[in-house]
Amino acid sequence: MNSNTAIKKITNLTKGDFAIWIVVILLSLFSMAVIYSATGTLAYQKKGGHTEFYLLKQLIFVLVGFLIIYFCHLVDYRYYSRVAQILWVASIPLLLYTLIFGSDVNDAKRWITLPIINTSFQTSDLAKIALIMFLARQLSKKQDEIKEFKRAFLPILISVVVICILIFPANLSTAAVLFMTSIVIMFIGRINVKYILLLILSGIILLAGAIFTVKNLPTNFVSKMGRVATWQSRLENYGGDDKTASYQNEQAKIAIATGGIFGKGPGKSTQRNFLPNPYADFVYATIIEEYGLLGAFTVIFLYLFLLYRTIQIAMKSPRAFGALLAIGLSFSLVIQAFINMAVAVNIFPVTGLPLPLVSMGGTSLWFTCFAFGCILSVSRHIDENEAEQQKTEAERLKPESE
Amino acid sequence: MNIKQDIIWRVWLTFGLLSLFALAIMFYAFKIQVIEGSKWKSMADSLVSYKNIEATRGNILDCNGNLLATSIPIYDIRLDLKADGISDAIFNDSISILSSKISNLFKDKSAEEYKNILVNARKHGERYFLFKNKIDYNFVKQLKTFPIFNLGRFKGGFMVEQESMRMMPFKHLAMRTIGYKNEDNTRVGLEGAFDKELSGINGQRLMRKISGGMWMPLNDENEIEPANGKDIVTTLDVNLQDVSEHALMMALEENLADHGCAILMEVSTGEIKAIANLRRKLDGTITEDFNYAIGDNTEPGSTFKLISVMCLLEDGLAKITDSTGTEGGEKKYGEKATMRDSEPGGYGTITLQRAFEKSSNVAISNFVTKAYGKNPKQFTDHIIKLGLNKKLGLQINGEATPLVKTPDDKKIWSGTSLPWLSIGYEVNLSPMQMITIYNAIANKGKMVKPLLVKEIKSFGSESESLKPIVLDEKICSDATLRSLTTLLSGVVEHGTAKILKNPNYTVAGKTGTAQVADKNKGYTDKIYQASFVGFFPAENPKYTCMVVINNPKRTDKNGMLVYYGASVAGPVFKEIADKVYSTNIDMQKKTLDSTFSKAKIPIIKTGSIHDFKTICSSLGFNYVYADADEESDYVNAGINDSSYHLEEVRIHENRVPNVIGMGTKDAVYILENIGIIVRLKGYGKVTQQSLSAGTPFDKSTIVELTLE
Repeated sequence: MNSNTAIKKITNLTKGDFAIWIVVILLSLFSMAVIYSATGTLAYQKKGGHTEFYLLKQLIFVLVGFLIIYFCHLVDYRYYSRVAQILWVASIPLLLYTLIFGSDVNDAKRWITLPIINTSFQTSDLAKIALIMFLARQLSKKQDEIKEFKRAFLPILISVVVICILIFPANLSTAAVLFMTSIVIMFIGRINVKYILLLILSGIILLAGAIFTVKNLPTNFVSKMGRVATWQSRLENYGGDDKTASYQNEQAKIAIATGGIFGKGPGKSTQRNFLPNPYADFVYATIIEEYGLLGAFTVIFLYLFLLYRTIQIAMKSPRAFGALLAIGLSFSLVIQAFINMAVAVNIFPVTGLPLPLVSMGGTSLWFTCFAFGCILSVSRHIDENEAEQQKTEAERLKPESE
Repeated sequence: MNIKQDIIWRVWLTFGLLSLFALAIMFYAFKIQVIEGSKWKSMADSLVSYKNIEATRGNILDCNGNLLATSIPIYDIRLDLKADGISDAIFNDSISILSSKISNLFKDKSAEEYKNILVNARKHGERYFLFKNKIDYNFVKQLKTFPIFNLGRFKGGFMVEQESMRMMPFKHLAMRTIGYKNEDNTRVGLEGAFDKELSGINGQRLMRKISGGMWMPLNDENEIEPANGKDIVTTLDVNLQDVSEHALMMALEENLADHGCAILMEVSTGEIKAIANLRRKLDGTITEDFNYAIGDNTEPGSTFKLISVMCLLEDGLAKITDSTGTEGGEKKYGEKATMRDSEPGGYGTITLQRAFEKSSNVAISNFVTKAYGKNPKQFTDHIIKLGLNKKLGLQINGEATPLVKTPDDKKIWSGTSLPWLSIGYEVNLSPMQMITIYNAIANKGKMVKPLLVKEIKSFGSESESLKPIVLDEKICSDATLRSLTTLLSGVVEHGTAKILKNPNYTVAGKTGTAQVADKNKGYTDKIYQASFVGFFPAENPKYTCMVVINNPKRTDKNGMLVYYGASVAGPVFKEIADKVYSTNIDMQKKTLDSTFSKAKIPIIKTGSIHDFKTICSSLGFNYVYADADEESDYVNAGINDSSYHLEEVRIHENRVPNVIGMGTKDAVYILENIGIIVRLKGYGKVTQQSLSAGTPFDKSTIVELTLE
């Protein structure tokens, strides 16, 4: 069997947009290379120098992720409308449970452990994808009355707010980004621009109010609420000039500055030893250090290309749900990616959001893969639809040619 | 506008906005790299730095490979009392046990004191607390097992820092000559002089700081491997050094002297086998804090007479049979200066040889002034030709600058300079310079530079041999050499150093008893320097030895100060020479050969028949076996004229055997083999056994053997 036929066999097995598959594979490869290098310090300290440990771990996560994409893309995307509803409903008690019983990591209760498979995951990851899918469902169902306040805007807004409020205490940035993404999707889903603007305005006021409160909270309250202190310091660090700039931002900048155009080369990062999370929050800084601006721009391009391809799919989608599902999910991924990068280059304060597909991480990677599975399912459906149309066209033409 | 188109423009608008966002990210990355680049890059450098990897310092060895100085690892213990793993609960729970364990281990402070130290350090939030300084590895190993400390570096805050410490396994032996190197870079002795070779070259390793303040190697390629220091093989012999120091110490104590030195030199090579420098402190303790042998240049006194006589003989201005008067033991030079002999009334008219043997100041100065009176420069030129006005250029620092007064130097040369120079005043020489001249006489006129280090060994590459350096191929003619040797032998045979005369080996040498000038008081105070320098065996010299003892204050039973070279320095010389003789088979051979034929056969201890046969057959002794038909394992050897008469030693199973006359090895072997427990007293061969032969015994029987 030569390589040509092998590729053909794979492309026959995997359906959906081939370009998106390529993007997924390229990002995963990037992820492995960077993680192998970036986990040096972690491995040196915790695993006695067995640097392959985290690489193998990530490899396993990625392979399982690929399986998830594969199986999810085989499912007819129309089922996802129902799945979205179930997941959204299920998210509410799960988030509540997490807030009360979740395991404490850095003063934030974000994680719960699944009882049977004994894997811990962030419920917000599930809720996030559930909400985006649910939005696609809601928006597509209400297209006829979409411009109305009570019948469309209000119920949709409520479904967003419920989730965001439940995520907010443990994970401010995820909640904020999810809310923002939801507004974008609502805008794309043809919600009245008037309401959207109103929403943005109130959002800004709310955020400003929140920042003001956090900054001026009495210190004894702050010391009791660990998360508030984290927010405070992050805000202060971001606001300050270079002298007070936080350690992590300085280290990230050193990484970026020393990377140059072509980078130091795979595995040559030195800043990985100083960056607090060189394999997650600051993975983009590590990418620039090792692969230079060239590598960094390539990653940005890959995400934009993903978005472009999804828009192409959406435009071909015969149903609004398919279009909104694909667009919602991909925008959500790309917005998160860009925010992660924006943190690394110090446009935004530290948020703790991973770079989808690239950052090291287990279950959150799988949720990303689930999202890709859904997008590819839509794309697969369109391809099959087109093929069917061509077939009927051909059949229609057949008798004439005879 | 239909739904689809409405959605599409919104999508493209959002896509456009996100693209702008992407551009912003790219711009920021670009900005950090290009616009702010130099600032961040300079910060990057401070996180990576070259760390020294210290090279192991080389050893200093004696001529037999014994370690004189070596580096051993020692450890400092530092504590991070705010380490993650030390919660209040853990600290409070363990502190009492920990303190008492530490107290038990070091036994220097009470558990309570240790507890206070630790509690205070924790209270002050010490994160790098120096807890113990310079402890050896065994302590570290024990400490690691104690509570809290056993949590390790990160959790328990237990930090071990290795350093190396210089150790001298023979402690004070040749301490000053081995020397040291201080942290403030004071360099003394061999450690100082060979510092470059011993130090090696420190390696460098590019390390980076990782979180937690740890340094981690960056990569292998930038690493410079340390080149460990080379080993210095000295000419010293620890055994001879030990004897020299011990003899010198005894002499200082016995004579209540201030300080002294002893040098032992191998004739043919100039190798210094021992160099002892000791000072008796006011409280009577002995210390070694100055290298008198090389650094103390004083007026040598009578030992210098050898050089005067050498000049006279070489310049053909006297023969050892020439005579002169001793002027009743006193001769006035000018108004004030009076030369005296130690023997009141002088020696009458004596030959040069006798004058030398008796060390007559008047006679020697008479010879010299007669010969060189008109041209003193000829005399001083000759001395200078011997190199005595220059440092020897030894391998270690600290050599004193010698002084030889000459007529050229009008300021210090006077009418009395020549006669006094001839008897060893008006000249400053170190003991090392004096021994070098005497050694040249012993070495058939060849003057070699004293050698302290003979080899520089490096691991993995050719070691460098330091050959003896010849300073002067021939300092005088063979005829002069013969005459001088006769004179020097005469000193011991029938001169001032008769106490060194012994039947085992011959000595040729010269005593010296110089009055030491006090800087302020001149020669008025009776401070003497007693010395002896000579070589042995006189007919075929192997070693030259010099002993100098300053300011002996002992008085004899008549209340007379004992300060003569022979009586003060002589015994030290003898003790050193005896030791050399007893350990040097080459030197003994002649003596043995002459007496061997007359000697009876030696006594052989009772012991194994096989050992006995081996000894007899290799030395050619005869033996007769009494019970020829039956050979036992052990025999007792009686002596019958010049052959051995063997009797078997019977060993019965339940009776104590007779082990009297046996060596320890055989006796213990036989007794313990049959189940008797043996106790030993003394050493040598068995002379008594606590249970006599033939006594029955059981398994717990103890027999004590007295050995002599």
